[in-house]
Amino acid sequence: MKKWIIAITALASIQVFALTVDEIVEKANQAAYYSGNDGQADVKMTITDAGGGERVREFRILRLNTGGGNQKFYVYFKEPADVRQQVFMVWKEVAQGKDDSRWLFMPALNLIKPIAPGDKRTSFVGSDFVYEDVSGRALWEDTHELTSETGTQYLIKNTPKNPGAVDFSEYTIAIDKDTFLPRKAEYFDKNGKLFRRVEAVKIETVQGHPTVTESRVDDLIRGGHTVNFFSDIQYDTGLKEMIFTERFLRRPPREATR
Amino acid sequence: MKLKLTNFSLRFPWIIVLLVVLITGFSAWQFPKVKFDNDPENMLSPDEPIRIFHNQTKAKFALYDMVIAGVVNTNHPDGVFNMETLGRIDVLTKQLLSLRQNADGLPEITVPEPFTPDLRPASARKRFLAKIFRHDVNRLFDETGGSAIVKEEIISPPVVDNIKQAERGALKIEYLMEKPPATREEALTIRDDAMNNPLYKGTLVSEDEKAVALYIPIIAKTYSYNVANLVEKLTADWPAEDQVYITGQPVAQDTFGVEMLIQMASSAPLAGLVIFLLLLLFFRRVSLIIAPMLVAVITVLCTMGLLIGGGYDVHIMSSMIAIFLMPISVADSVHILSEFFDAYHRFRDKKEAVRHVTGHLFTPMLYTSLTTIAGFTSLIFTPIPPVQVFGAHVAIGVALAWILTMTFVPAYIILFVPQSMLDRIPAKKADHQRSGLDRMLEKTGEFSYNHWKLISVVSVLIVVVSVAGIQRIRVNDNPVKWFTKNHRIRIADDVLNRHFGGTYTAYLTLTPENEAGPVQPPAPLDKQVNKRWLDLAEAINYLEKSALASFSMFFQILEKIQPGSAEFFQPLEGLSGEDLREAALAICDQKTNRAAREKELADYTEAIAPPMKQPKMLRWIDQLQTHLAGLPKVGKTSSAVDALKKASYELNWQPLTTENNPPRPSGTPPQEGSSRQTLPAQKIPSVEGCPKGGVSLTMKEDNSTNQKFFSVPDSAAACGQVFMQLEGMKKKDSLFHLVTRDYREADIWVQLTSGDNTDMAGVTDEAKRFIAANPPPIPLRAEWAGLTYLNVVWQDKMVTGMLSSLGGSFIVVLIMMIVLFRSALLGLLAMIPLSVTILFIYGLLGWTGKDYDMPVAVLSSLTLGLSVDFAIHFLERARELQKTLGSWALAIQEMFKEPAMAISRNAITVSVGFLPLLFAPLAPYRTVGFFLAAIMMVSWLATIFILAALVTALQKRLFKKRRIRK
Repeated sequence: MKKWIIAITALASIQVFALTVDEIVEKANQAAYYSGNDGQADVKMTITDAGGGERVREFRILRLNTGGGNQKFYVYFKEPADVRQQVFMVWKEVAQGKDDSRWLFMPALNLIKPIAPGDKRTSFVGSDFVYEDVSGRALWEDTHELTSETGTQYLIKNTPKNPGAVDFSEYTIAIDKDTFLPRKAEYFDKNGKLFRRVEAVKIETVQGHPTVTESRVDDLIRGGHTVNFFSDIQYDTGLKEMIFTERFLRRPPREATR
Repeated sequence: MKLKLTNFSLRFPWIIVLLVVLITGFSAWQFPKVKFDNDPENMLSPDEPIRIFHNQTKAKFALYDMVIAGVVNTNHPDGVFNMETLGRIDVLTKQLLSLRQNADGLPEITVPEPFTPDLRPASARKRFLAKIFRHDVNRLFDETGGSAIVKEEIISPPVVDNIKQAERGALKIEYLMEKPPATREEALTIRDDAMNNPLYKGTLVSEDEKAVALYIPIIAKTYSYNVANLVEKLTADWPAEDQVYITGQPVAQDTFGVEMLIQMASSAPLAGLVIFLLLLLFFRRVSLIIAPMLVAVITVLCTMGLLIGGGYDVHIMSSMIAIFLMPISVADSVHILSEFFDAYHRFRDKKEAVRHVTGHLFTPMLYTSLTTIAGFTSLIFTPIPPVQVFGAHVAIGVALAWILTMTFVPAYIILFVPQSMLDRIPAKKADHQRSGLDRMLEKTGEFSYNHWKLISVVSVLIVVVSVAGIQRIRVNDNPVKWFTKNHRIRIADDVLNRHFGGTYTAYLTLTPENEAGPVQPPAPLDKQVNKRWLDLAEAINYLEKSALASFSMFFQILEKIQPGSAEFFQPLEGLSGEDLREAALAICDQKTNRAAREKELADYTEAIAPPMKQPKMLRWIDQLQTHLAGLPKVGKTSSAVDALKKASYELNWQPLTTENNPPRPSGTPPQEGSSRQTLPAQKIPSVEGCPKGGVSLTMKEDNSTNQKFFSVPDSAAACGQVFMQLEGMKKKDSLFHLVTRDYREADIWVQLTSGDNTDMAGVTDEAKRFIAANPPPIPLRAEWAGLTYLNVVWQDKMVTGMLSSLGGSFIVVLIMMIVLFRSALLGLLAMIPLSVTILFIYGLLGWTGKDYDMPVAVLSSLTLGLSVDFAIHFLERARELQKTLGSWALAIQEMFKEPAMAISRNAITVSVGFLPLLFAPLAPYRTVGFFLAAIMMVSWLATIFILAALVTALQKRLFKKRRIRK
């Protein structure tokens, strides 16, 4: 009888603790892109080409969760000098069939230009990161499969439902079990060759949120890589939604210029 | 002494034969190690500064050698821009992108289904040759199995960026052909988008809309033939209206290399066969004429074996070694044979006859060989490595041929020529053919003796006319013109250069000389000084809409935030809402001097901007491009400025508006509190309303407000911001083919419709002139790179190198002649036929307008070596006969019998022997064939006419002097 109880308890505990693959990716998505109600950080982006040449961009990124998985992003450029005050703004929509809205403010041209919804796997400001790395890829776009599990990590294989729309045929993500932060993503081309790798190099806990403070992406075809250093990270500062409008493109909020 | 070698071989003929067989066997054994090098780039030494610079430029701007595949449709009313053709281009592009190596190491294409294309040549003959030369058509991968095609850099409609207007005034960044068009409208949209992009018009798409070009970058030039072949096979089933033409310099070069091998394998043996038949005609004894043929074959085999064994690649130049050595080696043994043939009846003993012949031919043959060796050795001093290798090996081959003639030929006669056959020779003396030539020669001798004055005058005239012709020589080369006119490469070249801005690319790199001095950044803003107003502005900026409902409410709120400040806003009474906020912010800004501060920062940005973000620099490049594009052979130029102008236009583009409704930034982002539904309200014309039909058409349709944006923006910041957009295009880093990542250096792609070196040189001269007359705003170095330009450099080097080596060897040969004849006068005389020949040949070149190119340049050394031979033989024999007969009048009669016969046979054999080269599919071989024949004929005529006439004129001085000396 005692044995039975133990057996049943064990079985129950397995069901309780073994997460389904969908739960894992959902938690990872939350950990990577949705910490707090809002968040902001300074980003120093170093783009290194195959020849070793470097380009540095500095910007502050503001993020606000607006509910239902939707988010708003405000990216304010500080360096190089010629793009100072340039702003890139995104209203991210995760629902199927909806597109993100994107705007660009170019101060030297005194111009606000909407960017048509397009390929989100396009380079983000010339770096090796793509827009999707910055704002996240909607979970429904892939089928997920838990391929293996180590003591500390889940390994998930993701296969796009619409392979024609992306540059990869599949990608794997290694997710830390303790923080649920994705540590490494590897992208494979149609011939099964690894061509791109995104890594969370350094993780620190900020205001209780495990946060990536250094991330790196490697372009294995061309040989370049880009590293992002995050600093002055803050969560839940009470960002106002009004920041994510036209007026604040032309006159940046203090959160961006600090 | 003279007979030592020959006596040895007469005594031990088998030892000689065995030795020769061994050496030949060893040389032949080296052949499988052969490596070929078809790259004209190697005409320059790898450490040549221009080559280093060329490679640096390629690395700096990520430039690759390209295979260009042009798809032309002149049948369809929409040209290539019809659904079917674009669909096929889409499939082809995806097929090329999918190329991979399968488990068997064979190429595999995965579109539409995985398959292994059969890349073998269609004809059995070509398959056989490919096998012999170990040309592997499936070699499309590097050592690690990576594709030879640089996939991410392919330029083709499905994979190049398109920046255009989308709904609601938005900017759309996508590929030019995201998917193959499903309707005619979609196909025409692709056409219009391409035509509206200055980077694509004339490059990717032809301005006549009939053609699209795919630019397929390859990891190394040596893959280009196979990649071209792959494209041909993949498009083999395309309908006839979609013509596919493949060109590009690497393809031309690689194809040349492959066909050169075929040529080598066919033309040298063919020349050998013709020589053999001619010898047969002259001597009628197969067993006898096998000797010179063997000498030729052994010489060629050993020399090539030495070259291959020595680790040298077989280059375009060295592939001609066989063709050069053939006549030279035959010539030596033909002299022996000819003499032997005519002298045998006097001795009726093989050994005696051989001794007699070698005895009095030893000196002239030694000298003819030495002079030829001198001519070719001089090539070692040219600055072109393949020419050096060529010169050295031909020189060695000539030496070998001489040794073989002195040893192997006698041994062969002793061992293999039947006595009985020789004994019948005199009976054949009445041979019609021979007596015909005999009689003609005798008459020539009489004529030269009697009319020496006339001959001298005519010669002088020829020289004068030739010198005039030489003035007209055009030094020019074009690797594509190495193919004959109806070769598919030439046809493709013609067709594509007619449709596009040119398939010959050169890169003009612009490198600013020095950094601008350090600029002090503006002092950081003292926030304390303006704190009050800055805080206030912040507060106003964040005010909720409700706080701006009326001025009084606004006033109260301000008083609460910062007591005492509200009074400054009194003048705004009456305003409300956003107008109130803007006005209030303006007051704050005025107090904090915001405008001045912004100006300071903007000025600083301008001051530290890298050269290629500065409008003045970019506008100067624009002017330079306009100037270059105006040159007749320049079809098109492309630079970062073109990309910038296009992006600036698309970013700034506003929908057409009426007078009453002034333009306002379209697609405005949401105002505060707006919801998704009320997003960008402005109605934007759909794609159909977008500008169409190129820039000029755009100007008519579009309003001038938009058209003015098709220009370099007014500030470095603006340029920098537009460039930032171009950095984030779908095809990553495509901007950096045109400008470096630090925006310090740029390059202009100059497309020429002709690969002629003279045309390229014309463009570089013109660019230099323009830059001198219109100095750039920032001092810079303008330097050229690119294969088309590299050709000009090595050509220049070759021409000057060949000239100096020709001059050098002329002097060496002259000294040799003076030593040989122990007379300055005779030495000078010996140089006359070759001088006349060289002048005549180059005069002919000038008058006929044939370009002085690589093969012609090389021939000059051959001319020197071969032409002098006849003169040596002639003068040596003339002197001998004069000595024995005591009078030139008698001697000349004898001269024009046996000795003249030997010279004539030689000349005819060699010149006729190389006529088959005239039917070769590769132009350099034709040139060599024609000029070899011409050189032989002219120097032969020069010898029997001019030399005979001059000796007649100078007989008293020539022979008296000799007698006194004796």
